[in-house]
Amino acid sequence: MLKCRDVVNTADQLLDGDMNHRQLLAIKMHLLMCSHCRRYVRQLRALLRAIPFMYKKASDTEVSKVMEHVHSHRDNYP
Amino acid sequence: METDKLAQLRSGDPVLFAELVRDHHRALIALTVPIVGISEAEEVVQNAWLKAYQAIGSFAGKSAIRTWLGSIAINEAKMQLRQRKREWLFSDHSSEDPYTEDSLAQRFTGQGQWQHPPALWHLDSPESLLTGEQLAECLERLLTAMPDNQRCILEMRDASGLSFDEICSELTVSSANARVLLHRARTQLFKLVDHYEETGEC
Repeated sequence: MLKCRDVVNTADQLLDGDMNHRQLLAIKMHLLMCSHCRRYVRQLRALLRAIPFMYKKASDTEVSKVMEHVHSHRDNYP
Repeated sequence: METDKLAQLRSGDPVLFAELVRDHHRALIALTVPIVGISEAEEVVQNAWLKAYQAIGSFAGKSAIRTWLGSIAINEAKMQLRQRKREWLFSDHSSEDPYTEDSLAQRFTGQGQWQHPPALWHLDSPESLLTGEQLAECLERLLTAMPDNQRCILEMRDASGLSFDEICSELTVSSANARVLLHRARTQLFKLVDHYEETGEC
């Protein structure tokens, strides 16, 4: 029987779709009975979706610097 | 990305390209810092943008644009290391028992049940979860303090969406070790957000 600790240790694999049938069945059985672990998995999934958005947008200065660099190689335009 | 926008971008539209730079520049810097160091990351990413602009016509849209840009930035970073005759010393060291030391270890009883279960988070949108002003500052501190190897895999996998195969081949790291390092990085982030959601502080 899986423990909550095991769910946290294997939730990454679950969300990556990287589990065999036996593992999947075991974790699903646990999740049916355990609201804390359901919350953990739901919130971990949300966290992973949020990570790509965690960066601030680049400033005008940064964007200009890149675009100047790109424009200075005008010959290589697509 | 919508088809019209992608077609315009592929044709070299500089306004759309500048928008792309605005959205992804900071992520590419974060991705390359663990490889070349903070002092050279900007130069590397500048060159990566140039390569991306030259190659944008061939971007098929099969992967996310961040993933495509991330691969270009990693290649540029590796090229920079080669030109400077430096090696990328990625440490894949992780302890023998991979899960005893993750950041949530203290949240369980000796029997492995939750002692301090996760708080209920406000899940409005992926864009808003990590961008609250105070949380963003704490997150920045956490990422800066995180061991380079964990940070590197987090940036590659979760921020840029590279596949495990690609990560393992770039880093010459075993899949098992890459997963352990990623698990450690993720649990640190989870703990930070959980504490913030529970107390409003971090």
